[in-house]
Amino acid sequence: MKVRYSINGKKKEFEIEAGEVLLDVLRRNGYFEVKGNCYMGTCGTCTVLIDGLPYTSCTMLAAKVDGSEITTIKGIGTLQNPHPLQKAFVEKGAVQCGFCTPGTILVAYALLKSNPDPTDDDIKKMLDGNLCRCTGYVQQIEAIKLAAKMLKKGDG
Amino acid sequence: MLKLKNVKSCFTPNSIQEAVDILKKSDGKAVIVGGGLDITVFPNPTIEQLIFLNKLGLTYIREDDENIKIGATSTITDVAKAPVMQNYLKGKVKIALTELASELLRNQITMGGSIARHHFYSDILPALYALRAKIMVSGGEFVEEFFIDDFYRNDLKVLMESCIVVGVHLNKYDDSFQFGSKRFVRNATDIALLNMAILAQIEEDIIKDISISVGSRPGPAYRFEQGEAFLRGKKLTKVLAEDFGLFTKSNVDVAKDMHLSREYRQHIAGIYTKEILLDFIGGVG
Repeated sequence: MKVRYSINGKKKEFEIEAGEVLLDVLRRNGYFEVKGNCYMGTCGTCTVLIDGLPYTSCTMLAAKVDGSEITTIKGIGTLQNPHPLQKAFVEKGAVQCGFCTPGTILVAYALLKSNPDPTDDDIKKMLDGNLCRCTGYVQQIEAIKLAAKMLKKGDG
Repeated sequence: MLKLKNVKSCFTPNSIQEAVDILKKSDGKAVIVGGGLDITVFPNPTIEQLIFLNKLGLTYIREDDENIKIGATSTITDVAKAPVMQNYLKGKVKIALTELASELLRNQITMGGSIARHHFYSDILPALYALRAKIMVSGGEFVEEFFIDDFYRNDLKVLMESCIVVGVHLNKYDDSFQFGSKRFVRNATDIALLNMAILAQIEEDIIKDISISVGSRPGPAYRFEQGEAFLRGKKLTKVLAEDFGLFTKSNVDVAKDMHLSREYRQHIAGIYTKEILLDFIGGVG
Protein backbone atom coordinates (compact mmCIF):
# COMPACT_ATOMS: atom_id res chain seq x y z
CA MET A 1 0.00 0.00 0.00
CA LYS A 2 1.03 3.62 -0.49
CA VAL A 3 1.35 6.30 2.18
CA ARG A 4 2.06 10.00 1.84
CA TYR A 5 3.83 12.10 4.42
CA SER A 6 5.36 15.51 4.61
CA ILE A 7 8.80 14.83 6.08
CA ASN A 8 10.82 17.82 7.24
CA GLY A 9 8.66 19.95 4.96
CA LYS A 10 9.06 17.80 1.83
CA LYS A 11 6.23 15.74 0.39
CA LYS A 12 7.03 12.04 0.14
CA GLU A 13 5.21 8.94 -1.01
CA PHE A 14 6.29 5.46 0.05
CA GLU A 15 5.22 1.91 -0.67
CA ILE A 16 4.84 0.11 2.67
CA GLU A 17 3.76 -3.22 4.10
CA ALA A 18 0.41 -2.92 5.91
CA GLY A 19 1.91 -4.05 9.22
CA GLU A 20 5.02 -1.88 9.21
CA VAL A 21 5.90 0.64 11.88
CA LEU A 22 6.94 4.17 10.97
CA LEU A 23 10.52 3.69 12.20
CA ASP A 24 11.19 0.98 9.62
CA VAL A 25 9.62 2.96 6.79
CA LEU A 26 11.72 6.01 7.63
CA ARG A 27 15.01 4.14 7.91
CA ARG A 28 14.36 2.12 4.74
CA ASN A 29 13.95 5.38 2.92
CA GLY A 30 17.16 6.92 4.17
CA TYR A 31 16.14 8.75 7.33
CA PHE A 32 18.96 7.19 9.34
CA GLU A 33 18.88 10.01 11.86
CA VAL A 34 15.88 8.19 13.35
CA LYS A 35 17.49 5.50 15.51
CA GLY A 36 15.99 2.10 16.22
CA ASN A 37 16.62 0.22 19.43
CA CYS A 38 14.02 -1.30 21.75
CA TYR A 39 11.04 -1.55 19.36
CA MET A 40 8.76 -1.38 22.40
CA GLY A 41 8.37 2.33 23.06
CA THR A 42 10.69 2.04 26.01
CA CYS A 43 13.84 3.94 25.11
CA GLY A 44 12.71 6.90 23.00
CA THR A 45 15.65 6.82 20.55
CA CYS A 46 13.24 6.55 17.61
CA THR A 47 11.30 9.71 18.55
CA VAL A 48 9.89 11.79 15.71
CA LEU A 49 7.35 14.59 15.77
CA ILE A 50 4.07 13.71 14.12
CA ASP A 51 1.97 16.80 13.49
CA GLY A 52 4.09 18.54 16.11
CA LEU A 53 3.82 16.01 18.94
CA PRO A 54 6.57 13.55 19.90
CA TYR A 55 5.94 9.82 19.42
CA THR A 56 8.02 6.68 19.44
CA SER A 57 8.08 5.72 15.76
CA CYS A 58 8.83 2.08 16.65
CA THR A 59 5.30 1.67 18.03
CA MET A 60 3.47 3.81 15.51
CA LEU A 61 1.91 1.96 12.60
CA ALA A 62 3.05 3.67 9.42
CA ALA A 63 -0.37 3.35 7.81
CA LYS A 64 -2.09 4.99 10.78
CA VAL A 65 -0.31 8.29 10.25
CA ASP A 66 -0.77 8.42 6.48
CA GLY A 67 -1.07 12.10 5.50
CA SER A 68 0.81 13.42 8.55
CA GLU A 69 3.62 15.91 8.89
CA ILE A 70 6.70 14.18 10.26
CA THR A 71 9.72 15.95 11.68
CA THR A 72 13.05 14.24 12.34
CA ILE A 73 16.07 15.82 14.00
CA LYS A 74 17.20 17.05 10.58
CA GLY A 75 13.97 19.01 10.30
CA ILE A 76 14.73 21.39 13.15
CA GLY A 77 18.28 22.44 12.31
CA THR A 78 21.26 21.77 10.10
CA LEU A 79 25.03 21.61 10.57
CA GLN A 80 25.27 25.09 9.12
CA ASN A 81 22.29 26.45 11.01
CA PRO A 82 21.71 24.39 14.14
CA HIS A 83 18.67 24.89 16.36
CA PRO A 84 19.44 26.45 19.78
CA LEU A 85 18.79 23.05 21.35
CA GLN A 86 21.46 21.49 19.15
CA LYS A 87 23.89 24.30 20.02
CA ALA A 88 23.10 23.97 23.72
CA PHE A 89 23.56 20.20 23.73
CA VAL A 90 27.06 20.66 22.29
CA GLU A 91 27.89 23.54 24.61
CA LYS A 92 26.80 21.71 27.76
CA GLY A 93 28.37 18.35 26.84
CA ALA A 94 24.96 16.70 26.70
CA VAL A 95 26.06 14.50 23.79
CA GLN A 96 28.36 11.60 24.47
CA CYS A 97 27.74 8.49 22.38
CA GLY A 98 24.98 10.44 20.64
CA PHE A 99 22.60 7.54 20.03
CA CYS A 100 19.75 8.93 22.13
CA THR A 101 20.38 12.55 21.17
CA PRO A 102 18.03 12.95 18.17
CA GLY A 103 15.10 11.61 20.18
CA THR A 104 15.97 13.60 23.27
CA ILE A 105 16.30 16.85 21.36
CA LEU A 106 12.98 16.32 19.57
CA VAL A 107 11.21 15.72 22.88
CA ALA A 108 12.88 18.85 24.28
CA TYR A 109 11.84 20.74 21.14
CA ALA A 110 8.21 19.76 21.72
CA LEU A 111 8.51 20.75 25.39
CA LEU A 112 9.85 24.21 24.62
CA LYS A 113 7.15 24.79 22.03
CA SER A 114 4.43 24.23 24.62
CA ASN A 115 6.34 25.46 27.68
CA PRO A 116 9.05 28.01 26.87
CA ASP A 117 10.16 28.33 30.49
CA PRO A 118 10.24 24.80 31.92
CA THR A 119 11.34 23.93 35.44
CA ASP A 120 13.79 21.13 36.13
CA ASP A 121 10.82 18.95 37.06
CA ASP A 122 9.02 19.76 33.80
CA ILE A 123 12.14 18.72 31.88
CA LYS A 124 12.69 15.56 33.92
CA LYS A 125 9.06 14.54 33.42
CA MET A 126 9.26 15.19 29.69
CA LEU A 127 12.46 13.12 29.40
CA ASP A 128 10.85 10.17 31.21
CA GLY A 129 10.61 8.21 27.96
CA ASN A 130 14.10 8.92 26.62
CA LEU A 131 16.86 6.76 28.02
CA CYS A 132 20.46 7.96 28.06
CA ARG A 133 23.17 5.73 29.51
CA CYS A 134 26.02 8.22 29.07
CA THR A 135 25.16 11.63 30.41
CA GLY A 136 23.17 10.86 33.52
CA TYR A 137 20.72 13.48 32.25
CA VAL A 138 22.27 16.37 34.21
CA GLN A 139 23.91 17.91 31.15
CA GLN A 140 20.76 17.35 29.09
CA ILE A 141 18.66 19.25 31.62
CA GLU A 142 21.22 22.07 31.67
CA ALA A 143 21.27 22.14 27.87
CA ILE A 144 17.48 22.36 27.62
CA LYS A 145 17.43 25.22 30.12
CA LEU A 146 20.17 26.99 28.16
CA ALA A 147 18.25 26.49 24.92
CA ALA A 148 15.15 27.94 26.56
CA LYS A 149 17.17 31.05 27.46
CA MET A 150 18.62 31.28 23.96
CA LEU A 151 15.18 31.02 22.41
CA LYS A 152 13.82 33.70 24.71
CA LYS A 153 16.61 36.03 23.70
CA GLY A 154 15.91 35.22 20.08
CA ASP A 155 19.35 33.66 19.69
CA GLY A 156 19.32 31.07 16.94
CA MET B 1 11.91 -5.67 11.16
CA LEU B 2 8.32 -6.20 9.99
CA LYS B 3 6.38 -6.22 13.22
CA LEU B 4 2.99 -7.46 12.08
CA LYS B 5 4.05 -10.01 9.52
CA ASN B 6 0.63 -11.36 8.63
CA VAL B 7 -1.21 -8.08 8.24
CA LYS B 8 -2.33 -7.82 4.63
CA SER B 9 -4.62 -4.81 4.60
CA CYS B 10 -5.61 -1.65 6.43
CA PHE B 11 -9.03 0.00 6.45
CA THR B 12 -10.00 3.53 7.40
CA PRO B 13 -13.81 3.34 7.45
CA ASN B 14 -15.99 6.43 7.17
CA SER B 15 -18.62 5.30 9.66
CA ILE B 16 -18.93 3.15 12.76
CA GLN B 17 -21.28 0.88 10.83
CA GLU B 18 -18.66 0.36 8.14
CA ALA B 19 -16.02 -0.39 10.78
CA VAL B 20 -18.30 -2.90 12.50
CA ASP B 21 -19.11 -4.56 9.16
CA ILE B 22 -15.41 -5.05 8.40
CA LEU B 23 -14.89 -6.42 11.89
CA LYS B 24 -17.77 -8.89 11.62
CA LYS B 25 -16.73 -10.15 8.18
CA SER B 26 -13.13 -10.69 9.22
CA ASP B 27 -13.72 -13.94 11.10
CA GLY B 28 -11.68 -12.67 14.03
CA LYS B 29 -8.74 -11.69 11.86
CA ALA B 30 -9.28 -7.93 12.02
CA VAL B 31 -8.48 -5.68 14.92
CA ILE B 32 -9.50 -2.14 15.75
CA VAL B 33 -6.44 0.06 16.20
CA GLY B 34 -6.68 2.61 18.98
CA GLY B 35 -3.23 4.12 19.44
CA GLY B 36 -1.66 0.91 18.20
CA LEU B 37 0.75 0.52 21.11
CA ASP B 38 -0.63 -2.80 22.32
CA ILE B 39 -0.74 -4.15 18.77
CA THR B 40 2.86 -3.26 17.97
CA VAL B 41 4.40 -4.19 21.31
CA PHE B 42 2.53 -7.50 21.58
CA PRO B 43 2.12 -8.56 17.91
CA ASN B 44 -0.58 -11.15 17.34
CA PRO B 45 0.23 -13.38 14.33
CA THR B 46 -3.44 -14.16 13.72
CA ILE B 47 -4.22 -10.53 12.83
CA GLU B 48 -4.52 -9.94 9.08
CA GLN B 49 -6.47 -6.66 8.93
CA LEU B 50 -6.13 -3.37 10.75
CA ILE B 51 -9.06 -1.00 11.15
CA PHE B 52 -8.18 2.64 11.87
CA LEU B 53 -10.81 4.92 13.40
CA ASN B 54 -9.21 8.20 12.28
CA LYS B 55 -12.23 9.32 10.23
CA LEU B 56 -14.97 8.58 12.75
CA GLY B 57 -14.82 11.79 14.73
CA LEU B 58 -14.18 9.98 18.00
CA THR B 59 -11.47 12.36 19.21
CA TYR B 60 -13.31 14.74 21.54
CA ILE B 61 -13.82 15.67 25.17
CA ARG B 62 -17.24 17.23 25.79
CA GLU B 63 -19.39 17.85 28.80
CA ASP B 64 -23.03 18.15 29.66
CA ASP B 65 -24.68 18.73 33.03
CA GLU B 66 -23.99 15.19 34.24
CA ASN B 67 -21.02 13.78 32.38
CA ILE B 68 -17.65 14.37 30.84
CA LYS B 69 -17.81 12.52 27.53
CA ILE B 70 -14.55 11.28 26.07
CA GLY B 71 -14.30 9.89 22.54
CA ALA B 72 -12.52 6.58 22.10
CA THR B 73 -9.67 7.89 19.96
CA SER B 74 -8.83 10.69 22.38
CA THR B 75 -5.34 10.12 23.71
CA ILE B 76 -4.27 10.36 27.33
CA THR B 77 -2.61 13.66 26.45
CA ASP B 78 -5.84 14.95 24.88
CA VAL B 79 -7.79 14.12 28.02
CA ALA B 80 -5.18 15.41 30.48
CA LYS B 81 -4.94 18.73 28.63
CA ALA B 82 -8.68 19.21 28.15
CA PRO B 83 -9.93 22.35 29.97
CA VAL B 84 -12.73 20.40 31.64
CA MET B 85 -10.21 18.09 33.35
CA GLN B 86 -8.17 20.86 34.96
CA ASN B 87 -10.50 21.15 37.94
CA TYR B 88 -12.34 17.85 37.69
CA LEU B 89 -12.12 16.30 41.16
CA LYS B 90 -9.65 19.03 42.14
CA GLY B 91 -7.38 18.15 39.20
CA LYS B 92 -6.51 14.75 40.70
CA VAL B 93 -7.67 12.75 37.68
CA LYS B 94 -5.53 14.92 35.44
CA ILE B 95 -2.55 14.25 37.71
CA ALA B 96 -3.25 10.50 37.58
CA LEU B 97 -3.28 10.64 33.78
CA THR B 98 -0.09 12.65 33.48
CA GLU B 99 1.73 10.18 35.72
CA LEU B 100 1.05 7.32 33.32
CA ALA B 101 3.96 6.15 31.18
CA SER B 102 5.90 8.84 29.31
CA GLU B 103 4.75 11.84 27.28
CA LEU B 104 5.76 9.89 24.16
CA LEU B 105 3.40 7.07 25.01
CA ARG B 106 0.63 9.24 26.43
CA ASN B 107 0.49 10.91 23.02
CA GLN B 108 -0.23 7.52 21.48
CA ILE B 109 -2.35 5.64 24.02
CA THR B 110 -6.06 6.15 23.44
CA MET B 111 -8.87 5.81 25.96
CA GLY B 112 -10.75 3.37 23.75
CA GLY B 113 -7.69 1.25 23.10
CA SER B 114 -6.93 1.07 26.81
CA ILE B 115 -10.45 -0.06 27.59
CA ALA B 116 -10.84 -2.57 24.78
CA ARG B 117 -7.47 -4.23 25.12
CA HIS B 118 -7.34 -7.67 26.62
CA HIS B 119 -4.72 -6.71 29.21
CA PHE B 120 -7.20 -5.07 31.46
CA TYR B 121 -4.80 -4.53 34.32
CA SER B 122 -3.78 -1.48 32.28
CA ASP B 123 -2.82 1.63 34.21
CA ILE B 124 -5.88 3.64 33.26
CA LEU B 125 -8.47 1.10 34.26
CA PRO B 126 -8.11 1.29 38.06
CA ALA B 127 -8.85 5.03 37.82
CA LEU B 128 -11.86 4.35 35.60
CA TYR B 129 -13.12 1.68 38.02
CA ALA B 130 -12.87 4.07 40.96
CA LEU B 131 -14.60 6.79 38.93
CA ARG B 132 -17.38 4.33 38.02
CA ALA B 133 -16.91 5.15 34.36
CA LYS B 134 -19.50 4.20 31.78
CA ILE B 135 -18.23 2.56 28.63
CA MET B 136 -20.06 3.32 25.39
CA VAL B 137 -20.03 0.44 22.93
CA SER B 138 -21.43 0.54 19.41
CA GLY B 139 -22.46 -2.30 17.17
CA GLY B 140 -23.17 0.11 14.33
CA GLU B 141 -26.93 0.45 14.54
CA PHE B 142 -26.95 0.78 18.34
CA VAL B 143 -24.92 2.24 21.18
CA GLU B 144 -25.00 0.46 24.52
CA GLU B 145 -23.81 1.85 27.82
CA PHE B 146 -22.06 -0.41 30.31
CA PHE B 147 -20.88 0.42 33.79
CA ILE B 148 -17.21 -0.49 33.72
CA ASP B 149 -17.68 -3.37 36.16
CA ASP B 150 -20.33 -4.89 33.87
CA PHE B 151 -18.29 -4.24 30.75
CA TYR B 152 -15.50 -6.52 31.95
CA ARG B 153 -17.96 -9.22 32.92
CA ASN B 154 -18.53 -9.72 29.18
CA ASP B 155 -16.44 -12.14 27.17
CA LEU B 156 -14.34 -9.29 25.83
CA LYS B 157 -12.95 -11.28 22.92
CA VAL B 158 -16.43 -12.13 21.68
CA LEU B 159 -17.81 -8.62 22.29
CA MET B 160 -14.94 -6.96 20.46
CA GLU B 161 -15.49 -9.11 17.38
CA SER B 162 -18.76 -7.33 16.66
CA CYS B 163 -18.63 -4.04 18.57
CA ILE B 164 -16.40 -1.02 19.01
CA VAL B 165 -15.72 0.99 22.13
CA VAL B 166 -16.71 4.49 21.02
CA GLY B 167 -16.32 6.44 24.22
CA VAL B 168 -16.23 6.68 27.98
CA HIS B 169 -18.37 8.86 30.20
CA LEU B 170 -17.28 10.13 33.60
CA ASN B 171 -19.82 11.38 36.13
CA LYS B 172 -19.42 14.97 37.21
CA TYR B 173 -19.02 14.64 40.95
CA ASP B 174 -19.80 17.51 43.29
CA ASP B 175 -17.33 19.05 45.74
CA SER B 176 -18.10 16.48 48.43
CA PHE B 177 -16.17 13.90 46.37
CA GLN B 178 -12.42 13.43 46.43
CA PHE B 179 -10.23 11.30 44.19
CA GLY B 180 -6.72 9.98 44.68
CA SER B 181 -4.51 7.41 43.04
CA LYS B 182 -1.06 5.89 43.40
CA ARG B 183 1.01 3.59 41.23
CA PHE B 184 4.08 1.45 41.74
CA VAL B 185 6.17 1.12 38.63
CA ARG B 186 9.75 0.18 37.86
CA ASN B 187 10.31 2.90 35.28
CA ALA B 188 8.31 5.52 33.43
CA THR B 189 7.51 3.47 30.38
CA ASP B 190 6.55 0.23 32.08
CA ILE B 191 3.03 -0.85 33.00
CA ALA B 192 2.55 -0.40 36.73
CA LEU B 193 2.86 -3.42 38.99
CA LEU B 194 0.31 -1.96 41.38
CA ASN B 195 -2.30 0.78 41.05
CA MET B 196 -4.70 1.94 43.73
CA ALA B 197 -7.40 4.54 43.20
CA ILE B 198 -10.09 5.82 45.56
CA LEU B 199 -13.13 8.01 44.99
CA ALA B 200 -14.85 9.04 48.21
CA GLN B 201 -17.78 11.23 49.12
CA ILE B 202 -17.03 12.83 52.46
CA GLU B 203 -19.66 14.92 54.25
CA GLU B 204 -18.97 16.32 57.72
CA ASP B 205 -15.97 14.00 57.94
CA ILE B 206 -18.15 10.91 57.34
CA ILE B 207 -17.37 8.68 54.37
CA LYS B 208 -20.79 8.50 52.75
CA ASP B 209 -19.88 6.79 49.52
CA ILE B 210 -16.69 5.18 48.30
CA SER B 211 -15.19 3.17 45.49
CA ILE B 212 -11.73 1.67 45.71
CA SER B 213 -9.98 -0.04 42.84
CA VAL B 214 -6.90 -2.15 42.49
CA GLY B 215 -4.83 -2.92 39.43
CA SER B 216 -2.10 -5.48 39.84
CA ARG B 217 -0.38 -6.70 36.72
CA PRO B 218 -0.89 -9.37 35.45
CA GLY B 219 -4.23 -9.69 37.26
CA PRO B 220 -7.29 -7.77 36.06
CA ALA B 221 -8.30 -4.49 37.70
CA TYR B 222 -11.21 -4.76 40.12
CA ARG B 223 -13.21 -2.97 42.83
CA PHE B 224 -11.97 -3.69 46.37
CA GLU B 225 -15.46 -4.09 47.79
CA GLN B 226 -14.28 -5.46 51.12
CA GLY B 227 -12.32 -2.27 51.65
CA GLU B 228 -15.28 -0.14 50.59
CA ALA B 229 -17.48 -1.89 53.17
CA PHE B 230 -14.83 -1.30 55.84
CA LEU B 231 -14.81 2.45 55.25
CA ARG B 232 -18.41 3.27 54.35
CA GLY B 233 -20.15 5.28 57.07
CA LYS B 234 -17.04 5.79 59.17
CA LYS B 235 -15.58 9.09 60.31
CA LEU B 236 -12.42 9.88 58.35
CA THR B 237 -9.58 10.41 60.79
CA LYS B 238 -5.85 9.77 60.81
CA VAL B 239 -6.45 6.72 62.98
CA LEU B 240 -8.94 5.35 60.45
CA ALA B 241 -6.42 5.92 57.65
CA GLU B 242 -3.81 3.97 59.63
CA ASP B 243 -6.29 1.19 60.39
CA PHE B 244 -7.39 0.99 56.80
CA GLY B 245 -3.80 0.74 55.61
CA LEU B 246 -3.38 -2.34 57.81
CA PHE B 247 -6.76 -3.71 56.69
CA THR B 248 -5.76 -3.29 53.05
CA LYS B 249 -2.42 -5.00 53.59
CA SER B 250 -4.17 -8.01 55.13
CA ASN B 251 -7.15 -8.25 52.80
CA VAL B 252 -6.38 -6.88 49.36
CA ASP B 253 -6.09 -9.47 46.62
CA VAL B 254 -3.13 -8.74 44.37
CA ALA B 255 -1.30 -10.70 41.72
CA LYS B 256 2.33 -11.70 41.81
CA ASP B 257 4.84 -12.23 39.05
CA MET B 258 8.58 -12.36 38.52
CA HIS B 259 8.82 -8.62 39.11
CA LEU B 260 7.20 -8.35 42.53
CA SER B 261 5.88 -10.71 45.17
CA ARG B 262 2.29 -10.71 46.42
CA GLU B 263 3.40 -9.87 49.95
CA TYR B 264 5.34 -6.80 48.85
CA ARG B 265 2.44 -5.57 46.73
CA GLN B 266 0.05 -6.02 49.66
CA HIS B 267 2.43 -4.01 51.83
CA ILE B 268 2.58 -1.20 49.27
CA ALA B 269 -1.20 -1.31 48.78
CA GLY B 270 -1.63 -0.70 52.51
CA ILE B 271 0.69 2.29 52.38
CA TYR B 272 -1.05 3.68 49.31
CA THR B 273 -4.57 3.50 50.71
CA LYS B 274 -3.40 5.10 53.95
CA GLU B 275 -1.67 7.91 52.04
CA ILE B 276 -4.67 8.56 49.81
CA LEU B 277 -6.99 8.79 52.84
CA LEU B 278 -4.56 11.11 54.66
CA ASP B 279 -4.52 13.27 51.57
CA PHE B 280 -8.33 13.35 51.68
CA ILE B 281 -8.19 14.56 55.29
CA GLY B 282 -5.95 17.39 54.14
CA GLY B 283 -8.44 18.20 51.42
CA VAL B 284 -11.55 18.26 53.64
CA GLY B 285 -12.85 21.72 54.33
